[in-house]
Amino acid sequence: MTTGGPDLAAAPTAAAITEALRAVLDPELGLSVVELGLVYGIRIEGGTVRITMTLTAPGCPLGDVMTQWARAAVGRVPGVEDVDVALTFDPPWTPDRMVNGR
Amino acid sequence: MIRPRAPEAPSLPLGYLVSASLALVVAAVALPWLAPELAGHYYHPRVLALAHMVTLGWITLTIMGASYQLIPILLERPVASERVARWQLPCFVVGVVGVVGHFAIAEWRGFVWSAGLLTLAALAHVANAGASVFWTSTAHGRQLFPGTGARSSFTARMIGLALVGLALTALFGTLLGADRIWRFLPGALFPTLHAHVQLALLGWVLPMVIGVAARVYPMFLLAPEPAGAGARVQLIGIAAGVPALVIGLLVDARPAIVIGSALVAAAVLTHLGSVLAMARSGKRPRLDWPLRFVLAGSLALVPATALGLALATDLVGGPRMALAYGVLALGGWASLTIVGMLLKIVPFLVWSRVYGPRAGREPVPTLAQLSWASGEAIAFVLLIVGLAALAAAVAAGDVVAIRAAATLVTLGVLVFAATLARVLHHLVRYPLRGATAAPLSRAS
Repeated sequence: MTTGGPDLAAAPTAAAITEALRAVLDPELGLSVVELGLVYGIRIEGGTVRITMTLTAPGCPLGDVMTQWARAAVGRVPGVEDVDVALTFDPPWTPDRMVNGR
Repeated sequence: MIRPRAPEAPSLPLGYLVSASLALVVAAVALPWLAPELAGHYYHPRVLALAHMVTLGWITLTIMGASYQLIPILLERPVASERVARWQLPCFVVGVVGVVGHFAIAEWRGFVWSAGLLTLAALAHVANAGASVFWTSTAHGRQLFPGTGARSSFTARMIGLALVGLALTALFGTLLGADRIWRFLPGALFPTLHAHVQLALLGWVLPMVIGVAARVYPMFLLAPEPAGAGARVQLIGIAAGVPALVIGLLVDARPAIVIGSALVAAAVLTHLGSVLAMARSGKRPRLDWPLRFVLAGSLALVPATALGLALATDLVGGPRMALAYGVLALGGWASLTIVGMLLKIVPFLVWSRVYGPRAGREPVPTLAQLSWASGEAIAFVLLIVGLAALAAAVAAGDVVAIRAAATLVTLGVLVFAATLARVLHHLVRYPLRGATAAPLSRAS
């Protein structure tokens, strides 16, 4: 490990973040937010990860739970120092966004 | 942008849903004992008591509770007043107990005050839920909550129609009770009674279920929301068909009854078609038992609608066929649908309260793991076989067959109640201890 500069070897990757988000499940469907296509964007700025995601329905009472869960899961990825999760409903989610449909 | 949401208070809808489930258990336990009455005329004090325990205690109370859970999701608007919703529950429950009790002993003065209290609670619900519909449907509401509710117009209109139906049904029922004392209503008893029944079933329960289904079933089935001409057929069918049918019954106008029934049947069958289309196109990996309940309930619309049309066109008639229609509509369609929805909503509410704050901090179960699939499967078989047999036995007027079928229904309801109790047990077994206190500013 080098000292006095950014540790590039430990910088999180989008793949690692996506993998971590597979642990965040929609409790009703039992599918991850990745499989459901709820993750709209992942931006990595050094140790800060900014995630834009949605829910299957606007007004879903699980909004706070899902964002906290995503923040916790991504926060455990090595190299991640801060996580920002933003909810958006534009564009609205549809089943066509599912990665692994029936 | 994060949309406005209702305050998270799972105890509010849970209070309604648990009360409603207890009413169903009471009605189901009484069912086998009422076999002799069910083999005769429906205008019997104890049959009326049973019918109102089901329609008011079970169906209406469930819809009210589910409304307070689902309105913020369906209409993207908060519930207008949580305080009104909390006061409404005990008033309605006392009203139901009074109405059912006074029906059972055929005491009309006591019935009138009970029905009056119940009507006040129903009107409070109409005002409370109606405010959300108003906010969704008007320019003023859109100014209050900009950028939301654009996709809710069909559901909002159906819920609006249903709330009008609830208000009219409750007022009509109270007038019917008062008329037993003071005899002021014109017209014959039974056509007026039939009008009240159809107003409750087709004016209140049907549009509410259709409106909610249009947004909730796609969420559960992972299917596209229904749209287009089908939505117009359903709206027009109910908005024009129910008044035509009810007024036709009141003034004994046969053409209005037939046309109204046909319009409602068109709405019902279009709704059924859209549910089946959602089931076919849905991306959900597998149907669970609650969704099978919902689909079975939807399919019960076929025999219920066929018998309803046959009654409206005088192809069949008599109190036994009317009772069989009631079993198919209230038991087969409404109850199976509501059982399925409760098996979704109650685990969701319990999970949100017990495990939601723990998600991400420790392993948490899914809703499916919270539920008791074997119990749901047993209840499914018992209720479907029991209700089908009960409709046939009631139509035949056979006391022994009615008692046997009713016993199956009772067992099915008890197993259903046990599955709900197992889910609710998580509230006691794994209480929340300060998990919400620690903010997750940076997960680790």
